[in-house]
Amino acid sequence: MKSSYKFITGAEAAVLGALEGGAEIMYGYPITPSTEILQGWIEKAQCNKQLKYLQTEDETTAGFAVIGSLLAGAKAFTATAGPGTILMQDPMSMAENMRLPFVAIVMQRGGPSTGTVNFSQQEVFLTAFGGNGDGLRVVYSPSTVEEVYLYCAKAFSTAWKYRFPTVVLGDGHLSKMTTGVKISKLIKPFASNPILPDSGEPVYLRNCFSSEDEFYNDRLKKNITDWDNAKSKISISEQYETYDAKELIIAHGSVAQNAKEAVDIFRASGRKVGLFRPVTLNPFDSERLKKIANTVKKIYIVESSLNQLSHIVKYEIYDAKAQMVEISKPAVGFSSNEICKLIMESD
Amino acid sequence: MKNFRIVISGEGGQGIQTIAKIISNACFRTGLFCSFLPSFGVEQRGTPSVAFLTISDQKLLQPTFDIADIVMVLSERALKPVVKYINPNTTIIFDSSTIAKESLPKNTFKYNAAPMAEYASQKFTPKAINIIATAVLTRKINLNDQNVWAEVQNTLGAKFKDKEIFRINKEAFEFGLYLILETEKFTKPTFQTKHKILYFKGHGKSAEIVPERCKGCGICILKCPVAALKFSQDLGFYSLSVPHVDLEKCIACGNCKNYCPDGAIAVEKDKIISDFLKQEQK
Amino acid sequence: MVQTMPKSWNKETKPHMFCPGCGHGIVLKQLGFAIDKLNIASNTTLGIDIGCSLLAWNFLNINTVQTHHGRTTATMIGYKTAKPKRIAIAYMGDGGGYAIGLQSLLYAAFRNDPITVILVNNGNYGMTGGQEAPTTMPGDVTPTSPEGAPEFGSGFKGPELVASIAHEKAFIVRATVSKPLVLNSMIDKAIENQIKNNSFSFIEVLSICPTNWKMNAKQCFEKIDVMEKFFPTGILKGER
Repeated sequence: MKSSYKFITGAEAAVLGALEGGAEIMYGYPITPSTEILQGWIEKAQCNKQLKYLQTEDETTAGFAVIGSLLAGAKAFTATAGPGTILMQDPMSMAENMRLPFVAIVMQRGGPSTGTVNFSQQEVFLTAFGGNGDGLRVVYSPSTVEEVYLYCAKAFSTAWKYRFPTVVLGDGHLSKMTTGVKISKLIKPFASNPILPDSGEPVYLRNCFSSEDEFYNDRLKKNITDWDNAKSKISISEQYETYDAKELIIAHGSVAQNAKEAVDIFRASGRKVGLFRPVTLNPFDSERLKKIANTVKKIYIVESSLNQLSHIVKYEIYDAKAQMVEISKPAVGFSSNEICKLIMESD
Repeated sequence: MKNFRIVISGEGGQGIQTIAKIISNACFRTGLFCSFLPSFGVEQRGTPSVAFLTISDQKLLQPTFDIADIVMVLSERALKPVVKYINPNTTIIFDSSTIAKESLPKNTFKYNAAPMAEYASQKFTPKAINIIATAVLTRKINLNDQNVWAEVQNTLGAKFKDKEIFRINKEAFEFGLYLILETEKFTKPTFQTKHKILYFKGHGKSAEIVPERCKGCGICILKCPVAALKFSQDLGFYSLSVPHVDLEKCIACGNCKNYCPDGAIAVEKDKIISDFLKQEQK
Repeated sequence: MVQTMPKSWNKETKPHMFCPGCGHGIVLKQLGFAIDKLNIASNTTLGIDIGCSLLAWNFLNINTVQTHHGRTTATMIGYKTAKPKRIAIAYMGDGGGYAIGLQSLLYAAFRNDPITVILVNNGNYGMTGGQEAPTTMPGDVTPTSPEGAPEFGSGFKGPELVASIAHEKAFIVRATVSKPLVLNSMIDKAIENQIKNNSFSFIEVLSICPTNWKMNAKQCFEKIDVMEKFFPTGILKGER
């Protein structure tokens, strides 16, 4: 496939990314701002009979149908948002316990409850640490539509290689905006395989155990060990203008794009500010953040939630000497000027 | 000074939690501090049932602990989950009719035993094992037996409305109080699941009954149209009685096989005879 | 050699963990015999719910997946969609099918999803201690209905509801553990409906629960007689 430059929405980029990642089946329930992903996929399925889909009666069924399909070895996924992400915790927890390659595209919207359908960064906790486990889920936070394409493709390989539920965490702005996107062929996707085999000895899969000891020794210990070993291989981050920075902004997703502009604005006026952008919110690239955190005097954590990213950052660099300032606007976006203004107000 | 950390374990259905409930209630009413924590697996009747008791004359903080002062174990299968609570100073009280001393951890000094399951089955009723065990524990930790008996009545009140059940249980309790526990020479554990398959042959039929799978539910006996099945002395999976078949009465209808939830019984007509009969009919 | 259990039963995991006298054992035995007769063990995948059915996770010699409560139907629909040539069976109790999982069950019938659902109805939530279930009969006492299950909201007639929403090609039946051979032939028909007609099939099986009913074998089967009068057995939709 030659690379092409298309003028498309984030939702369309998500569909193209999923296809690039080898996706075969999608289950979903209409919910703003992710509905167009389901519709886009269904459109593609009209021309390509290999692709399957089902609009289910709710998100819970969508999630469990995804699991049924991946047990059969098909790359299945879902897309949801807000109240749907809450319902998705049921199947995601099962995937987390049983190490199933569950992929979900989540386009954040204002919460809690129905909130708004537009935008937020408030589903960080839910996607990274939700469910009734300890948060062994991979969460990619793309900050551009092009990254939505990239990480929707990558999510399938990550999921099938490492076998942890994997989320691509965008937001309503990314999903709905139309912009120029380079669509190119990416690395060959990691192959899937039937988890319940077609032949040979039957496989028994359970998620329920009789005693605490049995549960820990036969299930959790391995999951945690595998997670620990995979963390450094999965985690990704980006740094912008940090080489001589005295102050550091930490932001993710589309807010990080505005933060980059804010860095440029500061730099133009002589203020040495840089940006650390986690791409994976979980596992977090703490190695790199730790290094940079010890070279700056002040850190600004900027997000459209009440300190969800900040919780993660402060946990990862709790002993950093820099002063940490939280700049949060739950469910409301930032402009780059606003970020500058809020940072200057905290001086 | 009364300070005890006790673990009680046995099969689900043996009334382990009831023992713990009775003892802990009795302690509470006499002003002792105690806590009772049940631990049980997912299976209602399928996994060992374990209870943790802490008793103290001083305020308690925690219902869980590393090492027990007393471990009471009433079935062989129920030993595995409680081995980790045993150290050289733990007293193990075990049912010698179902558990071999050899299966117990060797690192303890104090073993006490009684063939409680066998006594219960032969003198009272199989279910009375937990009453006997309650009485044994009462003696062991020096609780006032009248207080404990009052709690037994409190807890099992509804069942005791039947005068016969009341009498049997009272006798079982008294029996347990005065049981002299074995400390050196132990009864051989013959009151165990029969590990061999039972084969019956005759009258043109062959039957198999598998005690290891039989849970003594009695459905096959109920569904046999000719009353060819009866409970026997052989013991099955939970040390409950297993049926034997009278092949003379049996008509090989297939009911026992089709109804048995555990795949523990079937009778088939011998092929030679049925072929012969087919020939005769031609 | 006398055959005491189906070939498709996993001998290594017997004795199984269901209670003495549990109706699940009778249902799973007839399911096992059906799988033997149709010779489909290597081509079948079983999904089970959370509730007493979870104890069947390593019961049969076929691929088995334990799902979440009420989610077995959805999971097996997903599985069948990806593997249309294999046989998908969803096995659950009255809670998994008629309470938390009712929506999925109805939609499976509504869409005529080609899976076979087997629902074991023993009128209570066994695993958690016998609480009221949708199918508890009016007046029956449970830990969450000490005054007896109420006049309204008890005695749920599942197959009737499912039949009203199902496609005409569906196969819907209510069977009972008191007639195991009939149950066996119903399971046969249900699976055939999935294979031959690529359509939905649903079997509710009236079953016994000695542990939570606190009854012995005789009393259990007397209660099942009562249940059979309240919940009529027979084929509600499909070929007789």
